[in-house]
Amino acid sequence: MLLKNTFLFLCVAALLGSCISDENSPGLEYMPDMYRSPAIEAYVDYGMDPYHFGESQVDSLNSRMSARKPAQGSIAYMGDQMAFGMPYPYPNTTEGYEAAGAGLTSPLPTTQANIEEGQEIYEIMCIHCHGEEGKGNGTISKNGHIEGIPSYSEKLKDLPEGNMYHSIQYGKGLMGSHASQLSQKERWQVIQYVQVLQNGGTMPEFDENGNVMEPKADAATDAAEPDADDTTQG
Amino acid sequence: MNLPSKGMTKFQSALRALTLMLSFALLSPVFAGIWDEGDIANGESLFKANCASCHKVTAEVLAAPGLAGIKDRWDSSDEMLVKWIQNPQGAAATGDPYVKSLVERYVGTYGWMTAQAVSAADVKDIMAYVQNPPDVAEPVLSENECLTIDEMQTEDSDSSSAIWFLILFVLFVIIAVSAGSVKKSLENAKLESEGKEPLPSMSYFESAKAWAWRHLAWVSVAGLFITAVFITMAYKGAMEVGVYEGYYPEQPIKFYHSIHVCENEVDCQYCHSSASKSKHAGIPSTNVCMNCHKGIKNGSRWGGEELGKIYAAIGFNPENGQYIEDYEEQPIEWVKVHNLPDHVYFNHSQHVEVAGLQCQNCHGDVQTFKGGRIAPVEEINALVDDYPGLIQLSKPTLTMGWCIECHNKAEVGVTTTDNGYYEEIHNRLKDDMRGNEELRKYLEDEKVTVKELGGWECSKCHY
Repeated sequence: MLLKNTFLFLCVAALLGSCISDENSPGLEYMPDMYRSPAIEAYVDYGMDPYHFGESQVDSLNSRMSARKPAQGSIAYMGDQMAFGMPYPYPNTTEGYEAAGAGLTSPLPTTQANIEEGQEIYEIMCIHCHGEEGKGNGTISKNGHIEGIPSYSEKLKDLPEGNMYHSIQYGKGLMGSHASQLSQKERWQVIQYVQVLQNGGTMPEFDENGNVMEPKADAATDAAEPDADDTTQG
Repeated sequence: MNLPSKGMTKFQSALRALTLMLSFALLSPVFAGIWDEGDIANGESLFKANCASCHKVTAEVLAAPGLAGIKDRWDSSDEMLVKWIQNPQGAAATGDPYVKSLVERYVGTYGWMTAQAVSAADVKDIMAYVQNPPDVAEPVLSENECLTIDEMQTEDSDSSSAIWFLILFVLFVIIAVSAGSVKKSLENAKLESEGKEPLPSMSYFESAKAWAWRHLAWVSVAGLFITAVFITMAYKGAMEVGVYEGYYPEQPIKFYHSIHVCENEVDCQYCHSSASKSKHAGIPSTNVCMNCHKGIKNGSRWGGEELGKIYAAIGFNPENGQYIEDYEEQPIEWVKVHNLPDHVYFNHSQHVEVAGLQCQNCHGDVQTFKGGRIAPVEEINALVDDYPGLIQLSKPTLTMGWCIECHNKAEVGVTTTDNGYYEEIHNRLKDDMRGNEELRKYLEDEKVTVKELGGWECSKCHY
């Protein structure tokens, strides 16, 4: 009798203990159906919801998955950025790369705002491989995971912007395509910042409207400065 | 005359041969032995600067074939190798049969090699390094010390103390019951020796009842106490319904935020790139993983095992570094961690782009997590040293109380941001008489909070 009672007590204790914390369980939900929208929402697994749907519906509901590839040939609606909405005309081949380098130019004027925006994007998207100064010595390279990333200010000093755009669009060598992460405008902005890095990181001079001032008489000294930087750093 | 002249010609011819050899050596200094006597150290730095982004010195395929055993494979002249590196298309145009076979075999798959600006002497050094690679690719440990909370945790949580408390309680009850029965049998023995009738035998329940009646005051106080404890427990339990703090589910891939964010310093928004553009922060699609993992095929914790799941999803063959054609790609089914109810509207871009919040303000120290986890509010509050201006909150993470508490405290930089919306609101309030009144009311405490700009309107989040 005593033993039986004790056993019962221990069972209750164990049950209480087990429900205290389980990292794999989200815990109790109040009115579970309120957590799943009848309208299609991204990242909601409708097939998993036992309150709404029976087993038989799961398959058809899974096909309503919201994160899907756009239909082939779709052109993204860019709102007020009409200049950036058009499909990319150059194919992902060596010839396409050459053609883009020769023929593709930025529709975006070089301004202070664009370069600064480009720097922000660079520090999110590129810096871990290409490094803060664009010398190919980002953390991933320093940690020895990907090596031989070319330096913007040395090997890629004269790389045309069309080639850069082509590489962001399709990837090049080990670099993958970043088209899904960057809009067309953002790509051109980050290229403007890369061009600053090609120049050794010296920002061009801006007028009061933020436009780049045309280098005049002292163009020669401007060009010489980053070179001097390179030799001291290299 | 003859002899000296003969001597001269001998000398001249020797000189001529020497000059010839010298000029020959100068023109193609690597003719004999591009494969030996190169400077390995120089070759290593040249290789890492020019070749390592596509080639490995082992047989592993990166973005192009591995170079192990190239000396035995190269079936053409040494000059052709130099030419091939300096100008691949030019080398192919010479019609060399081996180069032609290379072009046929590889260019279709990997594309043309980029022409490299290296001299013949450089190639010699590079080949010396390629033939004498370092024994083992020693793992380069990051300078950053990056542990996950699982690796840091040492003491147990207080759930075990509750179990000890219960065990003590059970022991106490057992002792009380057995002491009671010992007392009873002793008393019976005493009564028997005095020749009186023994106490009536009672069940446990009856004896407990009799004991309770005898000590009514104590029992009722204890009963009140126990009832109060149970009501508190029930209340606390009910308050935890719909609270997901500490939810840390196992994911289909053993992904570590600590490796990516802390060790390799990849920005949050590299993978969650839509956080600044859309309602959702976004789970990276497999192609984003491949931006790095096309090259990094061995993880630092699980080798190729966990990465293989990504390759299986997207259809990538790590052996030859190529995507499998006509592969039916499968999305990776991550377990959703942060799940707001359907009747709540939340927008990431509004918080990241307009308010300029750091991810850590709401998600805590994600770089110490493996996969996704809902950081408890106390943990987030503790980050205030690293993130100045972080608002201290008291309600559990991801509850409505938490949201509106922050909206009540968070200031809007009306004057410091160049957001046209706030400018517009400010102008409207200034021009309007009633607006002026409102504005004065808002500015009484000399700050404008999110609440004062409508952050507590129901329809802001519920519609």
